[in-house]
Amino acid sequence: MSQRRPEQVAEPQQNSKRVPGRLRRAYDFSLLFLTFFLVCFGLIMIYSTSSYNAVKFYGDATFFLRKQMIFAVFGMVVMVVVSKIDYRYITHPLPVIKIRPVTVLYLLCLVLQVVVLFVGEEIKGAKRWIEIPGIGSFQPSELTKICIVLLTAYLASRAPKALNKFSGFVGVLLRVAPLIVLVVIENLSTAIVLSGIVFVICFVTSKKKGYFFVVIGLGIAAVASVFLFGDAFRMERIDAWLNVETHPKGYQTLQGLYAISSGGILGKGLGNSVQKLGFIPESHNDMIFSVICEELGLVGAIAILLLFLLLLWRLFVIAVNAPDLYGSLIAVGVLTHIAVQVIINVAVVTNTMPSTGIPLPFISYGGSSLVALLFEMGIALGVSNQIEYRE
Amino acid sequence: MQLVRTFQKRNLLLVLFVVTTVALLLLVRIWYLMVPGAGRLASAAKDLHERERVIKAERGKIYDRNGVILADNTPVCTISVIHNQIKDAERVIDVLCKELALEEAYVRKRVEKYSSIETIKTNVDKETADAIRAYELDGVMVDEDYKRFYPYNSLASKVLGFTGSDNQGILGLEVKYDFWLKGENGKILTMATAHGVEIPDMAETRVSPVAGNSLKTSLDVVIQSYAEQIANKVLETKSAKNVSILVMNPNNGEMYALANVPEYDLNRPYELTEVYTAGLSESELTAAKKTELLNQMWRNSCISDTYEPGSAFKIITATAALEHGKLSTSDHFYCPGYKIVADRRIRCHKTQGHGSQTFAQAVMNSCNPAFMEIGGRTGIENIYETFRNLGLFQKTGIDLPGEASSIMHKKENVKEVELATISFGQSFQITPLQLMSAVSTVVNGGTRVTPHFATEIVNNAGVTIKTIEGTGETDVVSQKTTEIMRTVLEQVVSEGTGHNAYVEGFSIGGKTATSEKLPRRSGKYIASFIGFAPADNPEVIAMVIIDEPQGLYYGGTIAAPVMAELFEVVLPYLGIEQTTIEEPDDK
Repeated sequence: MSQRRPEQVAEPQQNSKRVPGRLRRAYDFSLLFLTFFLVCFGLIMIYSTSSYNAVKFYGDATFFLRKQMIFAVFGMVVMVVVSKIDYRYITHPLPVIKIRPVTVLYLLCLVLQVVVLFVGEEIKGAKRWIEIPGIGSFQPSELTKICIVLLTAYLASRAPKALNKFSGFVGVLLRVAPLIVLVVIENLSTAIVLSGIVFVICFVTSKKKGYFFVVIGLGIAAVASVFLFGDAFRMERIDAWLNVETHPKGYQTLQGLYAISSGGILGKGLGNSVQKLGFIPESHNDMIFSVICEELGLVGAIAILLLFLLLLWRLFVIAVNAPDLYGSLIAVGVLTHIAVQVIINVAVVTNTMPSTGIPLPFISYGGSSLVALLFEMGIALGVSNQIEYRE
Repeated sequence: MQLVRTFQKRNLLLVLFVVTTVALLLLVRIWYLMVPGAGRLASAAKDLHERERVIKAERGKIYDRNGVILADNTPVCTISVIHNQIKDAERVIDVLCKELALEEAYVRKRVEKYSSIETIKTNVDKETADAIRAYELDGVMVDEDYKRFYPYNSLASKVLGFTGSDNQGILGLEVKYDFWLKGENGKILTMATAHGVEIPDMAETRVSPVAGNSLKTSLDVVIQSYAEQIANKVLETKSAKNVSILVMNPNNGEMYALANVPEYDLNRPYELTEVYTAGLSESELTAAKKTELLNQMWRNSCISDTYEPGSAFKIITATAALEHGKLSTSDHFYCPGYKIVADRRIRCHKTQGHGSQTFAQAVMNSCNPAFMEIGGRTGIENIYETFRNLGLFQKTGIDLPGEASSIMHKKENVKEVELATISFGQSFQITPLQLMSAVSTVVNGGTRVTPHFATEIVNNAGVTIKTIEGTGETDVVSQKTTEIMRTVLEQVVSEGTGHNAYVEGFSIGGKTATSEKLPRRSGKYIASFIGFAPADNPEVIAMVIIDEPQGLYYGGTIAAPVMAELFEVVLPYLGIEQTTIEEPDDK
């Protein structure tokens, strides 16, 4: 170009000082790519872990893979579409009914959480799914996760100074409590994730941190008391955790540990896990990380955790650079959601904490979970899309 | 519009820091599980995945002294089923029932049993196994295996013993040397899924089996089969219950033969021989009865049963007296046909008495009063000391299982009468082998010997890894006593009660014995003869024991001729040189 228009050669230095560069959007392509990579990796691992059972029970090695692929493609389309919408519409009252979309979502979640308690399909002793004819089962608690992120971020960003006092925090809690309480009835682990999101959003917003440590203490006490004085079902999990090799309920965890410990540094190679061959029940679900360890070894496990840390770092960058507090807190909520799930999942698989059913984000099998996560990633990408800078 | 404040960014940084820290701690936990802590869990996982299929080791062979195989192996197969790999259960059941001639219910139960691997039949011959293999049925495993095979069937059955279905030794040398013979089973470890289906293309771990060591024995097939042949002849002609012939090297305890007829077929050890089933109807042969009879059939009476040795024991009494200086060859004895001991009158077998006799004549006559006198002179202290020196208070230590101990009076309970009866071999019990071992020591110059069959254990490469010796303590009997006893016992054969054992051209020493079985007056006797040759330097010692002969029952009449028959063949066979033909004319 400079050869064709030599007359402009002297100008750039002046230009950069005087004339502002083109306004650009900071759409986070690295986050998009990371998400895409994790989803694809998840599909590979789901195929690896589920094909044996898929052949055995459905006569088709790709049975689980194909179902998950549909959700993955759908979820990624949703993610990209959502990322192009300005997240601020969520808090703008809708034109005709004059209600904010976030409020609509809140009410919808409340209704679905109540409905699931009555018409929910009971799978393994818990009513967590609503059967939608033709599509499959849908887990309202996944929608609730999105709702909690958006709602808490909205409440906190509306009056951030209120959160400097404990009363302000309680105010936020009271508003989100109905959702969490409805979830806790059937699904303690998801409720813990939800509480974690609320807590971290409030913590980040507040200038004063003292009372949060009190809350952490109370929270730990509450969780502990649920475990210690809760029903026999939870007591048993503690026993199984402490005596994983002998307790009959420790079977699944023990099989996971067998898988992890037989991986070694480099693993047995992709597809070569033996533990997935019927030893770990539903190894494509929550226990998928143990098979990753077995097949890809310590190196694979480190790589996956580093990818997640990288993903969290990108969300951090979005949160820090967000154009407003609301966008920032949405990114914080998504970050927390993924971080808590990864940590709990890995901790459970390695028997570092008592067993509880939390899937590994993007990788574990599960349609509603994946779509909800990708929806959240879409919003976070949407926040990055609103960051403007000059070249 | 609220902007993001710096403190909020700092708060978030703190959150991210905590998350990263926790994630790193979890990585440490994963590293711990996968690298240093993996050992136990990973091996537990391996155990869970691996299914073991045993490859049987070939059992070591047993050879006689000239390298003739006495116990061999023949290839057979084991048929088993793996439940989860069976695709067409009905066909599997059909084929197995037909080929193996088994009951359908039996096969069905095993095929339908939910287990990792179920054995249907062992020791299936190779042809049948190949036929089954040809069906190529999924889930049916045909594994190569070995079965013990005894080429001479019943030869030395009481010595060799036999093996069980897992090729483990059950009786005889097979069990005594099981540790050396059995070898080490190998295994094929295959990986299997949780549902028990073998994973194809997974590396199999194969641990090769190590064949067992071979056993070289001192047994001689020629002597053994000849001994069995003449023992069977006597068994038949005398309608005896049991006839034993033992042949041993008196200098080192190597056993040339141990015939204990009736013998049984080692290739069919669980089938009763006719002798035992005769006169029994099908209904009388209950399982318990069969077990009892089998145990009788397998019993080696030479080592497992004790008897009163009778007159042959006078060798020991004389040795004790000579060793303790209570007897000299010039001593004279008078036999009126009985001897009064304490308040009893104990008769001689010759009721009219032997009259005056030298020591040598007393032995030749097998005179009881003379030996009561010798025993009385020697005293129980001295006699028991000699017994101990000759090993009569302990087992001989022969390398066969089931050896019985002697039954002796307690020394403090031995009064005059007991001492008198012990002197001519009554009122206590020993095994025939104990007597033979003790007499060996007397005539070999005073060396204790442990009778044994095994001489060498040879590994697969043909290298001897263990040699078995039979000699023990030396000089337990003086050379002088040995010389006297050899001379006196030679005279027993050349001119005394043992003359029926005389074989022309050989100098043979020996002693007859006739023992009345308990309870007395039941008319049941054991006739025996112990003999050795050449008398002046024994190279072979043998014993003939006829249990419950009908008709004549004197050892000198019925056992001594058997000894002659044995020595006629065995002495030349062993290369023992004929001595002067004119020797009998000397006397």
